[in-house]
Amino acid sequence: MTVARSTLTVALAGNPNSGKTTIFNALTGLRQKVANYPGVTVEKKSGRCKLDTGEWADVIDLPGAYSLISRSPDELVAMEVLRGLRADTPPPDVIVCVLDASNLQRNLYFLSQLIELGRPMVVALNMIDIAERRGIFSDPAALSERLGLPVVPVVGTDRKGINELKAALRRARVPPMPDWPLPEPMHEELLTVAGGLAILDDDALPGLARYTSIAERLLIGDRADDIAALAEREPVKSLLSHATQRLAQNGIDPMHADIEAHYKWIDGVEKASRGSTGFQPVLRHFERNNEEKRNGERENGGKENALETHATLLDYEPRLTFTDKLDRVLLHKVLGLTIFTLVMASIFVSVFWIADPMMGAVEEGIGQAGRFIAGFFPEGPLGDLWADGIVAGVGGVLVFVPQIALLFLFLAILEDSGYLARAAFLMDRVLSKVGLNGKSFIPLLSSFACAIPGIMAARTIECQRDRLATIFVAPFMSCSARLPVYALLIGAFFATFSAAARGGILLGLYALGIIAAVGTAMLFKLGAKRTEPSSFILELPSYKRPKLSQIARVVWTNTWAFISKAGTIIFCLSVILWAMMYYPRLPRESGVALEQQLRAEIAKTQKTYRRPWHVAGSDRPQLDYQPATVVGDGERYPFPPHLRPLFTYNYQPFLDGMSGTEWWRFDSGISPATAISDEQFLDRSVASAQLCHSYAGRLGHLIEPAIKPLGYDWKMGIGLISAFAAREVFVSTMGIVYSVGGDDEDTTPLAQAMLADRYPDGSRVWTPLVATSLLVWFVLAMQCMSTVAIVKRETGGWKWPILQLLYMTGLAYVVSLVVYQVGRACFT
Amino acid sequence: MEKHACENPHCPAQGDHNHCSLNRLGIGCRGTVVSVAGDSELRRRLLEMGFCNGADVEVVRRAPLGDPIECRLRGYSLSLRGEQAQFVTIATAR
Repeated sequence: MTVARSTLTVALAGNPNSGKTTIFNALTGLRQKVANYPGVTVEKKSGRCKLDTGEWADVIDLPGAYSLISRSPDELVAMEVLRGLRADTPPPDVIVCVLDASNLQRNLYFLSQLIELGRPMVVALNMIDIAERRGIFSDPAALSERLGLPVVPVVGTDRKGINELKAALRRARVPPMPDWPLPEPMHEELLTVAGGLAILDDDALPGLARYTSIAERLLIGDRADDIAALAEREPVKSLLSHATQRLAQNGIDPMHADIEAHYKWIDGVEKASRGSTGFQPVLRHFERNNEEKRNGERENGGKENALETHATLLDYEPRLTFTDKLDRVLLHKVLGLTIFTLVMASIFVSVFWIADPMMGAVEEGIGQAGRFIAGFFPEGPLGDLWADGIVAGVGGVLVFVPQIALLFLFLAILEDSGYLARAAFLMDRVLSKVGLNGKSFIPLLSSFACAIPGIMAARTIECQRDRLATIFVAPFMSCSARLPVYALLIGAFFATFSAAARGGILLGLYALGIIAAVGTAMLFKLGAKRTEPSSFILELPSYKRPKLSQIARVVWTNTWAFISKAGTIIFCLSVILWAMMYYPRLPRESGVALEQQLRAEIAKTQKTYRRPWHVAGSDRPQLDYQPATVVGDGERYPFPPHLRPLFTYNYQPFLDGMSGTEWWRFDSGISPATAISDEQFLDRSVASAQLCHSYAGRLGHLIEPAIKPLGYDWKMGIGLISAFAAREVFVSTMGIVYSVGGDDEDTTPLAQAMLADRYPDGSRVWTPLVATSLLVWFVLAMQCMSTVAIVKRETGGWKWPILQLLYMTGLAYVVSLVVYQVGRACFT
Repeated sequence: MEKHACENPHCPAQGDHNHCSLNRLGIGCRGTVVSVAGDSELRRRLLEMGFCNGADVEVVRRAPLGDPIECRLRGYSLSLRGEQAQFVTIATAR
């Protein structure tokens, strides 16, 4: 692609749901990029568009806004870009104001504010197809004459009128300032304040003609950055307060009067837009254009538009629109809630069903590729970094991509169709009680699969306070990465419970997460009460058929944002975690010595009880379990005591002197087939000793005093540290620690090894109480670096993710502590 | 304008024109905006969304759980909570 310089910066501005984004997509095609406005949560969409003249234009798709005076971050960004107040975005040369022709009045209000900016503008009259089918006809020519601006009729979804819009960019004009029908006293006060501004005689002030419009903004309470300082300077400050007082005496509220004046003007504009008699509906116009084009192309042998659909004026809907009819069902007291539940349940179930095989495939693919590339690495740290650090770490996160993409897909369909607003409408009552918002429902539901799409979906919440609260509590929802941990611990320690009881425990864990979320949201509500009130003023847009290309684009952008933004952080953390678990290396001699010692133990055991299956267990041999030490090249290395359980596990029949069959029957969860060969045992033991020797192992020891009150030992400490990569990594790490291998498919050997683990005093390391405490920890703690990365991205800084990390970890610590200590007091 | 009786049995107003806050307006009731109260931020938002100049407002439905209401004004549908709707006073035609 040529890297031609753009000669024009175009900003698309308009109400939410006015179809700005479809026009943006039609203008820029694939030449677009999505970033964040620095310091805020708002997405910055920009792209390039080639004009007929061969010039390039930079196009910015501003966030949807109802007003230029607002506190919502979306509207604030739109205002700042339009007024040229953002250092990161150049002020637009041309503003394209997108109007929804089927909802003209309120859309014109935003236009009336844009007019006051005094910048060149073009109006795109969008969705005329919907409007005309509803019997709402607007005459672009009449509207154009009235506004003094080029007005281009557009159907963004069908790319109709896009070329005309491009051509119109060059005809953009500064609109004439309308004479707002303000009450007379307010006119006078405006002039007084404008006089005060003139006295300031500030170089920074624009020309004289703009004084009244600045005065108007000051009087109605607009304190945007460009004029806020003016309001504090004399004589403007005292003039303003006097003006406000005098108006109040006359019973006039400037802000109220101003908005009413704008809407009065809008009434006139709307009437004018109805057009003169004989005006031809715009769709007809498009049809004619198409025919002409087709004729032209036929001559040229073109066939591009052969499939273009005919929009006809014949199928007018009656006054009760399709949306009205659908809402009667979808928002019905009984039916509405039933359908809502069904829709949500089926989305949820299908995310798991469809994603499951895909996740398996991704895992398999990454494993294959990893092993293939690993073949090119020499043995040593580099190969290990690749296999255990990068492939395992990044792979462990990429596994969730199918699930995340699917959730984004469903979210995009819900949003594009218009059902998302309905879902919020249905659920607001429940969620507002706990300090959230109807729009929090979908993000929270997604978080049961994965908190990442949930947190990204919270973007649709306009109210900043509710958005933050939703992001903050979303990770409390038990995501699918917690399931392997739940399954391991419940399976191992509550195996004697009935299936129903075990299901009950699982349900309880989910409930605990929800309770924590509700409690936290309520705390949030208390904390934020004074600063920003929660509000829910939500437009219910018309239903639309979702457009495949648009949805594909959204899914791709969001998924890619996860992979790239979270991926970078995850990559770095994976390498750090790997290094922590890899270094320092076990001295070679120690490894050799350990192996020799283990071999000796195995030989001794097997020698004494060569044919274990036939030995009756009358005189049980006792192995000396005191940590033995060996001397290897001047260094003393202890026989790692935690290897004992595994040793015991693997050679239990020999040790107990039981008949093999007896023993296997006694411990029914295991079959002789799961016993591993001596070589495997040695390999895994060395791997385990290495992990315990590493920084992570030492860190596990280091934090043991802190986690001891929760019932955890240093091995679980290592597990918790590694689980920060992703929760399910806990399972494979424990597998390595207990040297049963990092296989998370069949966790029976791991469960057995955990059950067999004892403290030096002979008491069990793992009891059901410890398992419960650990389960509680996993429900509540923020054990996921991807989530931290995404929260950082979505909140535009490190403040919230760090606060969230500290809060969740603190809460997990306290609750696990209470569970363990109370449990111990009760049961012993 | 179509005449709808206010369905709210607790509606205190009487006479030809009932002044009733939007959150107490019955479903299917319509009327015109009389005034908008509330703190300035909320008032601005409501006015900007079109609750001004005596605009026609119709209450379309309540959410199944009772709270946000859906109303139609200036040709579009807006939902808002009762706690916000109470600040909009509507004159209903009986």
